[in-house]
Amino acid sequence: MPDVVISKLHKEFSGTTVLSEIDIHIKDGEFFTLLGPSGCGKSTTLSCLAGLEKPTSGHIAIGDVVFFDSDDHTYVPPEARNLGMVFQSYALWPHMTLEQNLAMPLNIRKVPKAEQKTLIYEALDKVGMAHLMKRYPHQLSGGQQQRIALARALVYSPRVLLLDEPLSNLDAKLREQARVWLKRLQTELGITTIYVTHDQEEALAMSDRIAVMSNGNLMQVGTPEEIYETPATAEVAAFIGKSNFIDGTIESVSNGTATISTEDGGAVIEAPLDGAFAAGDAVTVAFRPERATLVPTAAAEPEESVVLSGTVIAASYVGSRVEYAVKFGRRTLLVDHYRSGFSGEVGISVPFDAVRVYPRTAVVSDDVEELMAATV
Amino acid sequence: MQLMTSVTERPHKSPQPDLVPFSERFPAPRYRRILGADRSTVVYWAVIIALAVFVLAPVVPTLIQALSDRPLYEQGGVFTLDNFTRLFTEADFGGVALNTVMFAVLTTLLTLVIAVPMAIIVVRTDIPGRRIFGAGMQWPFFISSLILGFGWITMYGPAGFVSTWMRTIVGVVPWNLYSIPGMAITEAVALAPIAYVFCANALRNADASLEGAAQTVGAGPFRILRSVVIPLLRPPVVYSSILVFSMSIETLSVPLLYGQPVDITVFATFLYKNGLQSINPDYGVLGAASTIILAVTVLLVMIQARLLKDAKRFVSVRGKATRPRLLDLGWVKYLAVAFVTVYIVIGAALPIGGLVFRSFTSFFTPLANPFNALTLANYELIVQFPTYLQSIRNSLVVASIGAVVVSLFATVAVVVARRSTFRYRRLIEYLALAPQAMPGLIIGIGLFWAFAYLPFGAGNLIQGTLGALIIAFGLRSLPSAFGSISPAVMQIGEELDNAARVSGADWIRTFTRILGRLLTPAFGAALILTFVTMMKEYSPAIFLGSSKTNIIGTTMLELWVQGNTGSVAALATTQIVITAAFVGVAGLLMRGKKD
Repeated sequence: MPDVVISKLHKEFSGTTVLSEIDIHIKDGEFFTLLGPSGCGKSTTLSCLAGLEKPTSGHIAIGDVVFFDSDDHTYVPPEARNLGMVFQSYALWPHMTLEQNLAMPLNIRKVPKAEQKTLIYEALDKVGMAHLMKRYPHQLSGGQQQRIALARALVYSPRVLLLDEPLSNLDAKLREQARVWLKRLQTELGITTIYVTHDQEEALAMSDRIAVMSNGNLMQVGTPEEIYETPATAEVAAFIGKSNFIDGTIESVSNGTATISTEDGGAVIEAPLDGAFAAGDAVTVAFRPERATLVPTAAAEPEESVVLSGTVIAASYVGSRVEYAVKFGRRTLLVDHYRSGFSGEVGISVPFDAVRVYPRTAVVSDDVEELMAATV
Repeated sequence: MQLMTSVTERPHKSPQPDLVPFSERFPAPRYRRILGADRSTVVYWAVIIALAVFVLAPVVPTLIQALSDRPLYEQGGVFTLDNFTRLFTEADFGGVALNTVMFAVLTTLLTLVIAVPMAIIVVRTDIPGRRIFGAGMQWPFFISSLILGFGWITMYGPAGFVSTWMRTIVGVVPWNLYSIPGMAITEAVALAPIAYVFCANALRNADASLEGAAQTVGAGPFRILRSVVIPLLRPPVVYSSILVFSMSIETLSVPLLYGQPVDITVFATFLYKNGLQSINPDYGVLGAASTIILAVTVLLVMIQARLLKDAKRFVSVRGKATRPRLLDLGWVKYLAVAFVTVYIVIGAALPIGGLVFRSFTSFFTPLANPFNALTLANYELIVQFPTYLQSIRNSLVVASIGAVVVSLFATVAVVVARRSTFRYRRLIEYLALAPQAMPGLIIGIGLFWAFAYLPFGAGNLIQGTLGALIIAFGLRSLPSAFGSISPAVMQIGEELDNAARVSGADWIRTFTRILGRLLTPAFGAALILTFVTMMKEYSPAIFLGSSKTNIIGTTMLELWVQGNTGSVAALATTQIVITAAFVGVAGLLMRGKKD
């Protein structure tokens, strides 16, 4: 069965590069998510795949069918690609009933009327809307419209299903339910699905694999676990979940462990390295709040851990845990701990495998940094 | 949400038979290709070629004629600039240009004097009857400036009803309609509603909190008017000045009716005199004059487009509908009401009412009671002469066929310009809006030459037919049709056509199944607009018409020259009634459809 292959995809809008050299290989039946903040190029990538936009250069194919190739000037228009797509606004045609909305792609494909009836019923039944087929789109709620849009994209058994932020217009409660339902439907049908979202939770919960994009570049492709546990860059770490960042300089490297002196706290961190770094490199050290624990300063240093000393400046009780803000040098670090009661001088203990070292990147905006420095 | 859970509980059905590969169960449709291009591209090219041909048809022969030493239909023309020299020496075009500028400047000033206070009074103050006054400003939609001119002469002309009445009471008539100021004031009355619309919209969209802020610092209503409201009006005033100026440069009706008897010539009447009235027209001079006038109008339209673009950048329209507080003018409000009433009554209602009344009398003067002279003779004359009756039929045919053709073409052109990947889609918009810069007479002259120029006598098939009039009038009304449909297309979300494209419809099918259907109300509105515009239009027909293709406008002019003012009034009344009836019925039909 066919895979979706995008290679060296490049797109410029009047001189500005919006996609640069994107390479993605999506396996058959996979639930693949393009994740990134708005303006990162994820929707443009999807539009290029659908044929709604023409890339500047590159190659797009599904199996052995080439949709776009800048070298031999192949461009297949969207109507000939046989894809299914659900739009952010659902894009249900307002002058047609739900039945007519679903019949349109079948009419275009000259499917006999009797077969159309069965297909439409099946598709609407799949999304639980068969009893509403004579209604018009404006008579439905947002959630219902979203399911009809999905049924319309599936009714003609397209090669690949494209979803452009389909859940972003639903309210929070409904969105969570729709997420579960959509994932189950996709697994049942086994259809290759490409999903665009800016919501990391959605991406982590639903995807087989995720591509994280930023400023038209592909930052990392991997399973949700890989993306979350071992972010390839500091930007990915900042975008997916929460992270603490400490800038520093490598003093020395030995046996895969670096000694890093932090710029602001005047402290020294010993951290394992998995990249090529040398003494003198400017780096950013990152760890997630939930992987860190607080230890009393008097306690013995835990094994295989980095320990930083700081001062607790705030503790917020959020039920399942306590979120501590700990002043470390001029920065404020966040630590999620399971119990309350810490105050004053504490140690922050982070296991080696939770510490990531990246080349120095400005991941935290100046505004935020200023605010953090100003706290207390 | 019970629904959703019930779905997830359903047993899973195999989505397709095993033997058919999933992806190709219903392959994407194949569309016919024409000469190697897909059929949508063929439509794009058809639209742009048709536009280019029709828009350039009147322009190119005019330019060639301007630079040729003999009429276009004669063989062996030689390139020359002599026409331009003769234009200024023999034909005194310089004097004509001076008249035109004086007329246009005066018209523009008077228009602003009427429109700006009117907009402020109607939109922002607490005068009684604001809604009625606002609606009253729409009268020029139904009434052409030719008819307004007839009406003004009937009332205020040297032998007009009001003038005669004035003479018997005061002894003298303190005005002279047949002069440049007289022409300008009539034209200003006709154009004021255009400037009014721009100013009124700007005032409605202005942020009301600006005025609130002025109030909190202690400004009274007049202070607010002077310091806050009037400065806000600068962009619409500048824009509508240019618009009114360029419209008065090309207008024919009023200068023709007022200027001819006293020999005041402006651009349009110059073309009229030299092209139509002279026994042996000098085509070279006519071409040269047309070229210069075209250059001026094109320049003005370009300035307009530029201003409008800039104005959009500075618009401070918020989505939030703040209802501006109306300013309390105190006793001044009665002055304001008087001002608005004087404009509507003296400017429009009295002349038009007088003209309608005139159509039912055999004479019309305050010296004898016109109620004793009531008659239907004016209408009988029209009914008795087949040519007159035919001109009404011709007007109806031209306006109906033209409205359908132009609205359909404009719809397709807008969708290609706004919703296609056609490389030259911007050019389509420029071409469709270009006729704005072409005075009606020049379209008439230019097309006349173009038909004469067509090879194999193909032009003879169309020259002097209603088809020629439909082309010329259609060209004149294309920009407004395009402009009225364009915003409707922009309001339809692009995802709707993207959804159709992805699900297998090519551009043509997306148009016929989705966009075309959603545009039906906008199409209906464009239909009404073009019908009314083409019903009022007449200037291109002066050159293109023949004895068989007279329309109401040209017949009115003919009867006017013969001095048959009663029948002119009858025809004018007929035209107003047809227009009003059409708008009424069409409006009702469209409203019925919406429900």
